[in-house]
Amino acid sequence: MRDIILKKLKKSINGQAIIPEVNLRIPAGKFFALLGPSGCGKTTLLRLIAGLETADAGQILLGDNDFSKTPIHERPINIVFQNYALFPHLNVFENVAYSLKLKKIPKKIIEQKIFKILEAFHLETHVYKMVSQLSGGQQQRVALARAIMNAPEVLLLDEPLAALDFKLREKMLLELIELQDELKTTFIYVTHDQFEALTVADQMAIMNHNGEIEQIGTPKQIYEFPHSSFVARFVGTTNILNGTLHDLDSDPKIDVPGLGMLKCYFSKKADWMVEGCTAIMSLRPEKIFISKKEAKNFTNQIKGVVHSIVYHGRSTQYNVIVGDNIKLQIFEQNEEHFPQEVIDYDDEVFLYWQRENGVLLEK
Amino acid sequence: MRASLKSEKPFAIGLPALVWQALFFYLPLALVFVSSFIRLSNEGKFQGFTLSHIATFLNLIYFKVIGASLLLALSNALLCFLVAFPLAYFLAFIAKGARNILLFLLIVPFWTNFLLHVYAWFYVLERHGIVNTLLQKIGLIETPIHFLNSTFATMIMMVYYYLPFMVLPIFSALESFNFSLIEASLDLGASWNSTFRRILLPLTRKGIIAGFFLVFIPSFGEFAIPELMGGERHAFVGTVVSQYILGEGTGSLGSAFTLLSALCLIAAAMLLYRLINFLLIPRMRRG
Repeated sequence: MRDIILKKLKKSINGQAIIPEVNLRIPAGKFFALLGPSGCGKTTLLRLIAGLETADAGQILLGDNDFSKTPIHERPINIVFQNYALFPHLNVFENVAYSLKLKKIPKKIIEQKIFKILEAFHLETHVYKMVSQLSGGQQQRVALARAIMNAPEVLLLDEPLAALDFKLREKMLLELIELQDELKTTFIYVTHDQFEALTVADQMAIMNHNGEIEQIGTPKQIYEFPHSSFVARFVGTTNILNGTLHDLDSDPKIDVPGLGMLKCYFSKKADWMVEGCTAIMSLRPEKIFISKKEAKNFTNQIKGVVHSIVYHGRSTQYNVIVGDNIKLQIFEQNEEHFPQEVIDYDDEVFLYWQRENGVLLEK
Repeated sequence: MRASLKSEKPFAIGLPALVWQALFFYLPLALVFVSSFIRLSNEGKFQGFTLSHIATFLNLIYFKVIGASLLLALSNALLCFLVAFPLAYFLAFIAKGARNILLFLLIVPFWTNFLLHVYAWFYVLERHGIVNTLLQKIGLIETPIHFLNSTFATMIMMVYYYLPFMVLPIFSALESFNFSLIEASLDLGASWNSTFRRILLPLTRKGIIAGFFLVFIPSFGEFAIPELMGGERHAFVGTVVSQYILGEGTGSLGSAFTLLSALCLIAAAMLLYRLINFLLIPRMRRG
C-alpha cells in the first residue's frame, strides 16, 4: 500500500488558475474526503489524479513512483463519476465486467467474480437489465462495482451521492464506509457536503474558493478546532466574534467590543499572537448553553435578548442579540417533552460556555 | 393527457405533408410500377399486361450496371464515413467556439450551382491546375499527373458532394454523446482503440447508419458526377434510366429498369443495414 503524494501540483484552464499549487499527502488505505464549495477545483484535482486532465506543473506520486505522465488507462486508479457514466448500451453484467473483459480473463472466472460482487451489492436480481432500467441508487451501486472490479489501488469518488435523496444517501454512506473497511483500498471522496465528508472520512482536507487547501485533519479536529474562519463556517455552523487578544501566556482572552473579555482557547501559540492584536474567535452554537438563570462553573457568561426561535425537531435554534447588536446562534437539544424552563421571544437570557469552546482562528 | 395527444389534431397537422408525399412520391412510384408491366401501342393505347420489359433486363450486362452503381454508392458511403467521422468528432468535441462557423462552411457549397462545383474541381485537378502546380513546385513530380477522367476524380467529387449528408447526422449523434463515457472507458483500462470500438462506435450507431444511407441511396442513382469527372467508361443505373426515359417510346423500359434496380437497391440496403449493425455492436455483446 502506497500513499498518494501531490507535490506542487498546478493547473490552469483557459488562463485561469484552478489549482494554484497543491501539496497533499493522502495516506494509504484510508478514507480521505476532499471537502470544498462548488467550483473550488476539487473535481479538477480528482481528475488530475485519475489522469483525465494533465497538470501544468508538479508531480503525482504513488509511494516513490511518479505517475503524472502515465496515461489514464495504465494508472492503478479508478474513478466513480458524479453522473455514474454507465454504458447505456450494455447491461449490468457487461458494465461491471468491462475492465475484466479487456484483460482477457477467462469467461468462467469473470462470471464468478461478477456474480459475487453483484450479490454483495444487492444487484443479483438485476444482472441482465439495461442500466436505464435501474433506480438511481442501483445505478450508483453498478458504477461502484464496475470501478472496484478493476481492483484499483486508489478509488476516486466524485460527488457520488449527489443525485440521491437524503435517506438513500445516508444509507449509501454507511455502505461506503463498510466497503472501504473491507477492501482497505485508499478512497478519495470529493464532496461539497460537509455532512457526507464528516461521516465517511478518516482524514479530510478543506479546500477554499481559490483551490487552496486550508486545513487537513480528522473530522473531529476539523470540526472542533478549525484553523480559519473559512473552515469554521464551511464545516458546520458557527458564531464568529472579532476582538483583540490579551493575556496570552497566563489566561488568554479576547476583548469583543460590547461583550467584554471572553476567555478563549488555542492549541499552539503562533507568531501572529501578540498582546492587543486583532483576533477572530469561533464559537459553535451547540456549545453554548442558554438559560434564564445565571449559571456557575462556566468560564464565560454573557447576557442577551432572544430575537427569534426556530424549532428543528431534534434541536431548537435560538437567535440571541448580545452586546452591540451581535447576533449569536444557539442550538439546544430538545431532550425533554415538557421542558422545565420555557424560553420565549424577547426574554432576557444568560449564555454560557467553557473556555475551550471559544476557538481562536488564524484568519 | 395522453389520449388527447393521440386524437385527430396532430394528424390534421401532418395532412399537407401526406398529400404532398402522395402526389409527388407515391403516385409517380405507382406509375413507374404500372408502366413496367403494360404494353402500349405506338399511339399510346393500352394493349394488355406483359413481363417482357422486365425480361429485357434480366441480362448479365444490366446486372453489371446495377453492380457498378452499388459499388459506386458503397465506396462513396465508406469514403464519406472515413472522412466524416473524424470531422464530426472534431466539430462536436474539439472545435468549441469555431463550431458554428465550421458547420456553416460545411453547408455553404449547397447554395451554389452543381455545375459550378464541377468546374471548380476541373480547375483544381486539371493538368495545369492547383494540385499539379503545387506538386511540381514542391518537386514531388516532374510531369503533371492526369487526374481528370479517372475513378480518382469521380470519387473526390462524390465524397466532396455527399460529405455533409454523412457529417451532420454523425455530428448530431456525437453532440448528444456523453463524453464522460469515453473517460470512464479509458479509466477502466481500455485503450483509445478499444474505447472507439466498444463505446464510441456503438453509441453513435444511429447517426452513422443514418449518414450511411443518406449517402448510399442517392449515390446509387448518381450518373452526372461519374460522367463529368470519370469520362464515359462505365454505365451506371442513372445513365441507363435517363437514356430510356428520355428516349422515344422506351418509357416502359425505363420504368422496368428503374423498378428492377430499386429492388436490388432495397435488397442491398437491407443487407448493409444488418451488416453495419453487426459490425458496430461491440464484441462483448456477442460473447
